[in-house]
Amino acid sequence: MKQLLFNPFIRIAGARSLLLGWLLMLLTAVIAYFSYCHFDGVIDAHDGCAAPFWIFLAEPLLAWGVAVLVFYLAGIIVARSGVRLIDIAGTLALARWPMLVVAIACFIPVTAPRNLYDIQPSVIMLGIVMLPFIIWMIALLYNAYSISTGVRGGKRIWSFIIALVIAEALSKALFFWLLADYIR
Amino acid sequence: MQKKLPYICPSCTAPLQVQSLACSQCDTQVTGSFPLPELLQLNEEEQRFVLEFIRSSGSLKQMAEQLKLSYPSVRNILDDIIEKLNATKAGTKKK
Repeated sequence: MKQLLFNPFIRIAGARSLLLGWLLMLLTAVIAYFSYCHFDGVIDAHDGCAAPFWIFLAEPLLAWGVAVLVFYLAGIIVARSGVRLIDIAGTLALARWPMLVVAIACFIPVTAPRNLYDIQPSVIMLGIVMLPFIIWMIALLYNAYSISTGVRGGKRIWSFIIALVIAEALSKALFFWLLADYIR
Repeated sequence: MQKKLPYICPSCTAPLQVQSLACSQCDTQVTGSFPLPELLQLNEEEQRFVLEFIRSSGSLKQMAEQLKLSYPSVRNILDDIIEKLNATKAGTKKK
């Protein structure tokens, strides 16, 4: 059970994992459209405003695409043997599945705070509900990277952290550049 | 009970060597100091993996299906074995 929750990639990777991951991303996008949940970064999730459906579809795809690109490059640099793009793409797609629960959690009604002193208890509650799922997704991303690249030891930890930071920064920049105008 | 061939010294963890070989037909015994072949220095599970790998004509995809593991998981096991064999070879060369 623990393996299924935190490291399903021991048993599933490649094309099968990619199809399942895409299916779950589509389902997440549909739920997010109704709960106004935005995934504007590789490890970001926010309760936001209404937007066209394609935005809710483009956000997780962009986050996943950037992660695939950065983690693949990291894998090529540090891995001991060849890294297959399909394994990185498939495992990283499936690793995003906890976002499905986050999209459901966004149905919790919250009032957007105007400033730091205006944070309502519902906002804090939503944050508390979302946080474990974000951490769960990061754990899955780590295991996806680990299995797909076969990197071992300390090299695995530092290369993952660097790749995650770069992917997050790059995805944020791309969101701001490509999608921000359509959301506001 | 299936006997396991020991390849690591239980006292100091150094690789063990063969000191005696016997013919089961005529009882002839050969003594000396022979290093274990590289493949025998792998543990039982790793040896089984190598045999399965050969039987599946070196197809990792087929191995993954047989073992019900993902392709990269199987490749990682193979990489670990390659690393171990390389370390064994390097250790032997040093001596």
